[in-house]
Amino acid sequence: MERSATRVIARSDVNEWLAHILHHRDVIAPTRSPGGDTMFAPITSPDDVLWDFENPLAPPKQFLLPQTEPLAHFRRIDGHMHVEPVAEQRERVLFNVRSCDASALAFLRETYARDLADDVVERRAASLTVVTLACSVPCELGFCVCTDAGPFLRRDFDVQLTDLGDAFFVEVGTDKGRALVGLADALFQDAASDDQARRDASELAARAHFGGETCHFGSAMRRISTKRVADELWESMSAWCLDCGGCTHVCPTCYCFSVSDTPPADGCSTRCRLWDSCQYSAFTLEATGHNPRTAHGERMKRRFHHKASAQYFQRDGRVGCVGCGRCVKVCMGTTDMPTVIAAIRHGTWDGGRAHA
Amino acid sequence: MPNLLLPSVATILTQRDETPDVRTYALRFRDPDERAGFAFTPGQFLELSVFGFGEAPFCLASSPTRGPDVEVTVRRCGRLTDALHTLGPGDEVGLRGPCGNGFDVDAARGKDLVFVAGGIGLPPLRSLIWNVFDRRREFGRVTILYGARTPSDLVYKDELRDWERQADVTVRVTVDRTGPGWDGTVGMVPVLFDHVELNAATSLAYVCGPPIMIKFVVQDLLKRGFAAEHVISTLERMMQCGVGKCNHCCVGHRYLCRDGPVFNVREITEMWE
Ligand SMILES: Cc1cc2nc3c(=O)[nH]c(=O)nc-3n(C[C@H](O)[C@H](O)[C@H](O)COP(=O)(O)OP(=O)(O)OC[C@H]3O[C@@H](n4cnc5c(N)ncnc54)[C@H](O)[C@@H]3O)c2cc1C
Ligand code: SF4
Ligand code: FES
Repeated sequence: MERSATRVIARSDVNEWLAHILHHRDVIAPTRSPGGDTMFAPITSPDDVLWDFENPLAPPKQFLLPQTEPLAHFRRIDGHMHVEPVAEQRERVLFNVRSCDASALAFLRETYARDLADDVVERRAASLTVVTLACSVPCELGFCVCTDAGPFLRRDFDVQLTDLGDAFFVEVGTDKGRALVGLADALFQDAASDDQARRDASELAARAHFGGETCHFGSAMRRISTKRVADELWESMSAWCLDCGGCTHVCPTCYCFSVSDTPPADGCSTRCRLWDSCQYSAFTLEATGHNPRTAHGERMKRRFHHKASAQYFQRDGRVGCVGCGRCVKVCMGTTDMPTVIAAIRHGTWDGGRAHA
Repeated sequence: MPNLLLPSVATILTQRDETPDVRTYALRFRDPDERAGFAFTPGQFLELSVFGFGEAPFCLASSPTRGPDVEVTVRRCGRLTDALHTLGPGDEVGLRGPCGNGFDVDAARGKDLVFVAGGIGLPPLRSLIWNVFDRRREFGRVTILYGARTPSDLVYKDELRDWERQADVTVRVTVDRTGPGWDGTVGMVPVLFDHVELNAATSLAYVCGPPIMIKFVVQDLLKRGFAAEHVISTLERMMQCGVGKCNHCCVGHRYLCRDGPVFNVREITEMWE
């Protein structure tokens, strides 16, 4: 029988479902680190999973694009070099991911599949099942409503859960999601129209309770894409950026990388892909010593051009920001996404926000 | 490509010193199928790995008309190129590619061709020059203008003499500073324009070299009536992946490793970020 795409699972049954999943797959979920903060990490027991949590500062992109990713081992055997691709691990489930982060994972998956497909990333994406927990109570600094990336999703999830109190509303988005629910199918009932109504009410309430943070991409995009942001504006904003690259590291959609080999030992070495950042001055340094982006303002301009220009929007079909608010949290200066977008709209810079 | 970032093993067949710090290597894919299946256009480049030292982009300096072995001409200037210069015939390197768009060779058919190169800018043009000589009847007059800092910095010295002996080919060479045994022209590359007749209406010009040279040569060509679309150059940026993923080579939303490195001057002028 064709199963409905919307189901319900009792709160008291969720851990049993998770136990079934853990039996078959590796599960990564927001969990409490030994130091006490929240992080995405592999879990071993359903009790490790957090249900009421602040979205971790490090996004789950590391499970699609590892910060240091071995691509191949080079081995010299009998005088000849052997290139051995690094094999991928087993199926993994990302559980209780926030809507913004799931949108970002979709953005990255599409980016790596476009034009020349990166088969390593494609395979890893294919082996990931993403279970999102819709944000019935939006986070404080998020502006996902401005980027079409939350607080509830219409796409980009395999399973979307909505907390209805005594139960979870379960939306199955893909075959991968169907397979995950299928691991413990008896725990799920078909959703009734009343369940659907409670889920929809939760989404409306979430939208109404949105935080103070907004980000008007439309008008900023128009200015960026038509060269109507003065170089002086970038220059003055860049004085408020510490050039640390923190925003790009916690950004769930940033994906600049470099490739590097471990130093050869006994004819062996490992080629790795490493996160890099377009905000570092050496990012564009050529071997001749020439660097086309020496001015700090030019590097900032690059970041926002990639995130919010019509040229990239046309290519990607999405803005390069999901509105998670992590750059607001992490920036030691004042040049986070909403602040810079506001400055671009107004054409002036007053030093940015005063951080709480 | 089985894996976008995975290099294939190739063997160094020969090496030839061009200048004290520039060397040309002939390379052969170790896997016969890969060797047979390797197809490229002049102007494209390879990502070359020295195992344990990373990889870097180098222009294909040989022509697809001359078989499946390839040549690269490499200036020694850093970690990877230092390591490469310690290797020789029989040693193995990694190759990945071809990358980039390459020259539109068909668009050059029936045209007079002007090649202007500075220093290590000659290798990508050499690929096209060989290609043109191997299909000589399809193209018109060929003019090759080449300059280097000193006589000892000129690459492909023997070939320059061979090229000059071909029918309907003019070769002019200059050096910034003269040196022992040099009795040719002295001066920057643009001085060579006074030594040749060019017909802007029937020609395409290809310009490769350091950015400052490209700038002055392009100005000269435009002044001599060349349309911006008919002046073609290659752009260089720091590159890592060579396949449009890592973002190192972007100019605005253009990826020099995918959309380039070959652009005409009109496209270059319209590029911004
Ligand atoms: C499309 C394309 C095609 C290319 N084709 C060719 C080609 O055919 N032949 C060729 O020889 N090259 C070519 N190059 C350039 C080539 O890729 C580089 O020379 C190569 O990457 C150098 O690698 P490396 O590891 O040896 O140098 P690196 O170790 O990366 O560094 C280069 C050197 O630059 C110096 N340096 C670094 N920073 C500075 C600074 N701020 N000021 C002064 N010096 C500094 C360092 O001392 C170092 O020795 C091409 C590049 C591109 C993008
Ligand atoms: S930005 Fe939106 S989707 Fe992300 S955690 Fe905050 S409310 Fe949820
Ligand atoms: S070199 Fe990586 S995107 Fe062009």
